[in-house]
Amino acid sequence: MKTLATIFLSALQTLAFSQATISGQVTDAAGNAVPLANVYLLDTYDGTSADDQGKFSFTTNETGTQVLVAKFIGYREFRQPLTLSGKDITLEVRLQEEVSELNAVTISAGAFTASDESRRTVFRAVDIATTAGATADIAGALNTLPGTQKVGESGRLFVRGGDSNEARTFIDGMLVLDAYSPAAPNTPSRGRFLPFMFKGTSFSTGGYSAEYGQALSSALALDSKDESEITRTDIGILSVGGDLTHTQAWEGGSAAAKVQYTNLRPYMGLINQEIDWKTPPASVQGMGAFRQRVGKQGMVKAYGNFSHSDFSLYNHDIDNYNNKAQYDLANDYRYLNGFYKTALNDNWMVRGGLSYTYMNNDVTLMQDNTRETEKGVHAKAVAEGSLSDQVELRTGVEVINRSYEQVMLPFGGTGTSLGFDETITAAFAETDVYASNKFVTRLGARVEHNNLTDKLSVDPRASLSYKAGSTGQVSLAYGRFRQSPKNQYLQYLNTLGPEQAQHFILNYQRVENNRTFRIETYYKKYENLVKTVDAQLTNLGSGYARGVELFLRDNESVDKLDYWISYSYLDTKRDYLDFPVKAVPTFASKHNFSIVAKYFVQKLKSQLGATYSYASGRPYNDPNSAVFNGGKTPDYQDLSFNWSYLPKPYLIVYLSCTNLPGRNNIFGYEYSTQMNEQGVYNGRPIRQPAPRFLFIGIFITLSKNKSVNQLPTL
Amino acid sequence: MKTFNILPVLLAALIFALASSAFADDGKYEAAMKKNIQAVYQAKSMDEYQQAVNAFDRIALAEKTKWEPHYYSAFGCIMMAAQEKDAAKKDAYLDQAVTAIGKAKAIAAQESEVIALEGFAHMIRVTVDPASRGAQLSPLAMQAFGKASALNPENPRALVLSAQMQFGTAQFFGSSTTEACAVVTRSLEKFNTYKSDNPLAPQWGRSMAEKLKAQCQ
Repeated sequence: MKTLATIFLSALQTLAFSQATISGQVTDAAGNAVPLANVYLLDTYDGTSADDQGKFSFTTNETGTQVLVAKFIGYREFRQPLTLSGKDITLEVRLQEEVSELNAVTISAGAFTASDESRRTVFRAVDIATTAGATADIAGALNTLPGTQKVGESGRLFVRGGDSNEARTFIDGMLVLDAYSPAAPNTPSRGRFLPFMFKGTSFSTGGYSAEYGQALSSALALDSKDESEITRTDIGILSVGGDLTHTQAWEGGSAAAKVQYTNLRPYMGLINQEIDWKTPPASVQGMGAFRQRVGKQGMVKAYGNFSHSDFSLYNHDIDNYNNKAQYDLANDYRYLNGFYKTALNDNWMVRGGLSYTYMNNDVTLMQDNTRETEKGVHAKAVAEGSLSDQVELRTGVEVINRSYEQVMLPFGGTGTSLGFDETITAAFAETDVYASNKFVTRLGARVEHNNLTDKLSVDPRASLSYKAGSTGQVSLAYGRFRQSPKNQYLQYLNTLGPEQAQHFILNYQRVENNRTFRIETYYKKYENLVKTVDAQLTNLGSGYARGVELFLRDNESVDKLDYWISYSYLDTKRDYLDFPVKAVPTFASKHNFSIVAKYFVQKLKSQLGATYSYASGRPYNDPNSAVFNGGKTPDYQDLSFNWSYLPKPYLIVYLSCTNLPGRNNIFGYEYSTQMNEQGVYNGRPIRQPAPRFLFIGIFITLSKNKSVNQLPTL
Repeated sequence: MKTFNILPVLLAALIFALASSAFADDGKYEAAMKKNIQAVYQAKSMDEYQQAVNAFDRIALAEKTKWEPHYYSAFGCIMMAAQEKDAAKKDAYLDQAVTAIGKAKAIAAQESEVIALEGFAHMIRVTVDPASRGAQLSPLAMQAFGKASALNPENPRALVLSAQMQFGTAQFFGSSTTEACAVVTRSLEKFNTYKSDNPLAPQWGRSMAEKLKAQCQ
């Protein structure tokens, strides 16, 4: 009996001590050693780190079928079942490179991505807020990047020979109608959305994803912030008004509310303006945002924005300055956006959104009233995920409905009403195929149906990128894009077809040690542009744009200095609208150049910024000349400064001045519609409303924690 | 009869085997942890840190209910991130640290040490790109240190990390470092008095406090 037990126990012990050595070498796909990988048997204590040559060896008492795992940062996990029977095992472990954001090739043609989260971006979210001359306006900051043209009297984005309405804004994937606040004729408007709301900005000057429709030249995709993690109150005291924001944070969610009042009346009273204001602009704006995490990876976002603005001014007659006409404008705007995303499993994500825009613009010119109302609803659902480690797929459906009405009520006359109700139903699919970490191809298509024309269209998109060496990459992109004509034309002829453009882009980019260099060249072909032929609106217009662009950013060479330089060369002509011949449009300038510098001065606790912008002369049409759009304005130049001073962690004083030298920029000329007695059309230049815009703001943040400040929001 | 008599022996053997294996497992866990904790504290080169991190990751996979392996794995990654020069690699190490901290939090959500380490990861993350990250992440780091101290007012690491952050901020704004230095003094007191009953509890941070104290004088 005793012997039996002993035998039994010793058998147990032998079993327990049947030790085996597992050894081998860890290499990458090319056979090069990968040092210091973690090699172990799953769910046991047995394992080791590989050495400098990738060699490993460890002993185990485990028996039966076990799983050997090898892991190292930048590689996919290796797993192999082993049958252990006390015998030594030698094996080769080949790790496959992981396709990850850090080392993978990215689609870079046409795109400038700014994000706090993603790394190695060319442009950061905070850059938008701290660019001198941009006065915290998104379009203002993006106008320092290549591919844009400075159109000082508009303030909007003009991309690669495209009109400003060809550049569209998307928030969390949802199209925004009327993204700019109203402005007096020939004065710059500002975007309705403030940069601090967004964690990421992707500004594409062409060849963008099939997800973005109804944009002919450019897609500006803004990614709103996730939940705030800190409860805080922000107060802004501005030279032109004030704002108050409160953010309440809780575990997994937050809510924020902001009210802002802007009144340019006192400022305009102090500084002489080119414009004869009766009542300078004033606006009140409210904003609310709600964020809540749902489940493990779900997120609900809701955002609302409402604003009212109005002003009144006198338009002076070109022929006789003393003849003036009163122009009154009142604008109401509401935007609501709901967004939901969640993970279906490890590989698939779904997101959906619903947005609603309401805009009412009421203009009275000498008692003749024009009222424009636009309502838009956009619904969208997208699924994205990986089919395998090398193939990613994104697909979705959307419906964009817009109803537009313009009511014209001339003084003493009867009103006429024009408008349209457009519904675009679209579906898109796009796949990214990684042949390796060095080569990616994106193929996609967008199908749209428009109820007004009752036509179905298919637009292909394609990009490919190849990583040449460790820091450089070459990208190619092609796509066809379409967009409904402007409201002002579509209302007259509801069956006008969409305008179309094809983009061909070639890009080279090099990113190294906080230095970025890129060069891009493109050709853009416009078709089906709106054109008046024999006083009829048609889709017979056409045009082209081509150019070369350079960008250099350097955050490394000089300590505490961060700067970027952009240059764009543009050659464009169009035959559209009322053009008698193919000509350069008035918003296009051949050469655009910007240099933006930011320097931190520790002693002054300040960040100083300067922006210099140059644009060569733009054409204008002089009816006294035989050549259409034959005139040319002088060059545009601007040197702007800003100064952010942080005396205390919770307090920022901000000072900015545009066009410090006070250069008198001329944007174009406007002419009388009638000849004078000498048979000449009188003209006058279109100038800046004032040479400089001076802005002072004091921003205070109240929170439990005094180190919080508003710098990222500036 | 004979067979009948074997049964209790077998049972006893089995119980003994089970008990000893259970005992051995916990002993094995503690021994393995202690060895590697020593290694991570003494590590100087990236290789040494990586080896220790690998070991903690292996232990973490085998011991699914223990927060300590995740904690020390994250600690090793933060140390590697602090040493690394390349910004993108720094971020990769910090990502790995944050993942490990997330796993530790899933096991011990109210552990002061884990929350303090999370703040430490934020703090190192700021150093990668202070201009664009400072304003967003510094308050998150401070919030984490505050929460860690609230969970355990005796935790000297929550205090010294907070002091480090406050000291840096005060220096930046040219304001008084008195408050930061008072926190350092408090953390040094806690380093002398605080004894956790967990044999694997973190011990690091004293030299950070002493260096800071020296700067205060």
